[in-house]
Amino acid sequence: MEIPLLVQPLVILFSTAVLTPLIDIVGKQAKAEKIRDIFAIAGFLAAFYSLMSLHWAISSTGPQTYILGTFGVPAGGVQLTADLLSVYMGLIFCGIGLLVAIYSVRYMEVDSGLDKYYALLLTLVAGMIGVAFSGDFFNLYVFWEIMCISSYTLVSFRKYRWEPVEAGFKYLVMSTVGSLLALYAISLLYGFTGTVNLKQLSAMISSGQISASPLSLYFTIGLIITGFGVTASMVPLHTWLPDAHPAAPSSISAMLSGVVIKTGVYAMCRSLFTIFSPALFDYGTVLMIFGILTMTVANLMALMQRDIKRLLAYSSIVNIGYILTGVGIGAYALSHYSSSPRLAAPIAIFALMGAMFHVLNHAVGKGLLFLCSGCFVHEAKTRDIPELEGIGRRMTWTGTSFSIGLLALAGVPPLSGFWSKLFIILAGFSLPEDSFMKFISILVVLNSIFAASYYLWLMQRIMLKEPKPKIASAVEAPASMLLPIVILAALTVVIGIWPGAIISLAEGAGRVLLGG
Amino acid sequence: MVEPWQLYVAAASAAIIIGIYGVASKRNMLKTIISIEIITSSIGLNFLALGSRGGIADPLAQSIVVVSMAIGACVAAVALSIMINVFRHYGSLDLRKLRRLRW
Repeated sequence: MEIPLLVQPLVILFSTAVLTPLIDIVGKQAKAEKIRDIFAIAGFLAAFYSLMSLHWAISSTGPQTYILGTFGVPAGGVQLTADLLSVYMGLIFCGIGLLVAIYSVRYMEVDSGLDKYYALLLTLVAGMIGVAFSGDFFNLYVFWEIMCISSYTLVSFRKYRWEPVEAGFKYLVMSTVGSLLALYAISLLYGFTGTVNLKQLSAMISSGQISASPLSLYFTIGLIITGFGVTASMVPLHTWLPDAHPAAPSSISAMLSGVVIKTGVYAMCRSLFTIFSPALFDYGTVLMIFGILTMTVANLMALMQRDIKRLLAYSSIVNIGYILTGVGIGAYALSHYSSSPRLAAPIAIFALMGAMFHVLNHAVGKGLLFLCSGCFVHEAKTRDIPELEGIGRRMTWTGTSFSIGLLALAGVPPLSGFWSKLFIILAGFSLPEDSFMKFISILVVLNSIFAASYYLWLMQRIMLKEPKPKIASAVEAPASMLLPIVILAALTVVIGIWPGAIISLAEGAGRVLLGG
Repeated sequence: MVEPWQLYVAAASAAIIIGIYGVASKRNMLKTIISIEIITSSIGLNFLALGSRGGIADPLAQSIVVVSMAIGACVAAVALSIMINVFRHYGSLDLRKLRRLRW
């Protein structure tokens, strides 16, 4: 039986996840335990390859749809849809997953229960790709929960220490309540329209066929923003993140900060932009205000941290603020200038392109930083920045890559983070007569300067200070841990110098949000 | 004239508020988990009530509720297993004993 191209990545990842524990049993019998790691990496590689071929198929023939099961008109059944945006997100998720799996081979070897670790990592990535591929809202919720349950378990993976267990419980409670609020929004939408299919919902709500009042629709929008905003760690719903990300193993922190919180942003944007046309509903203002609030609060909190992973976790919240602001600028332009679409549409595309580009840049940059900090913590056995001072001089490759990641996120040209921030800020300044948008963009500029200052401060302490005697024995990480780090560092440089190809990918992804 | 499904929708929203109150105010981990389960079940009730308008039960709503019950059970299982680990560390289920739990 031929498996459709669209379902292949999901089938590969889920079947690898199921088979990994069995392979582990065989490997233990044959005294070759690393075989399960290699098997999981092979699963990621196969899924990445099938996503690439799906990307080529979509860019030549257009979006693909696959219906898993039907139960009559108008419900439509369980539907998977892949367009340029979903495949763009899927490639980011699977790529970071692949590098994290390679990193884990040596990093996690001191832990036990690694068959479960790899199985959960595979289901985590499969859930995220499923969220990106969902064509109906309930299907999205199911894949969402697959992702969430895997990440709760991975956060509290080292359950013999108090910190992961506590952080995992906090993450579980907050994130579950958030997902349930989103499910409540889905049930309200189902009540208004009688369907959960995203396309049908969009058609029915924008044509005004339904009896719901605007107030109840805005209530639903609020529930969606709050519900997915918990996972996207929007201030004031961010409090789980600075606990959960440092408590997890560093490879999982790279996964959580790099891609899992982006899934929250993706689900929010996809459902808002598809169902509620931004020309009819004004949620852009709310997203912009929350974006600014998110980056300002997180910047101030990041300054006070002594724990390196906690500082990086706060900086992830700052970057979510940039992405939210970029998306908000797009929606705001479309809703406030809906009478002149010629003016609004290019700004919206520009802003969304910047936001989508920043999703990739932050995934690569923050993945890199967490993997490097994992190497430091692995050697120095502490996460305290004053004790880690100068460790970059002992671990040259890791230290250099760490500095490249910090500079990229600080937005130093010509590294990748510069371009996406530039696009978001330019989109904000493109309407000089709109003082609100100008005010927001000035705040974005101030925040990114502020953020750059503590990135440089961290770089100075890690790279330039004299090493303390406690870390004098630190040696460079093994090659299989360095490989993903060097790949990610090279990616930030390459994307920064030749951004053209990625910009066209991000622009295609942004156009999908605006309906083609 | 109030139709029966409207009463169920009202009951579901009341139960959701009760559940959120429970999560926010209770200091026992088990009670927090029970409150999460209350929210899950009341959203299921909301789906079923909205799917039974006009005297016909919509199979879409019913299949959604069955699946969301299964997901709720998975979340509860993970939450309970984390709770057992917390108990092993602290010998207590009191959330105030946990150092990091400030939200």
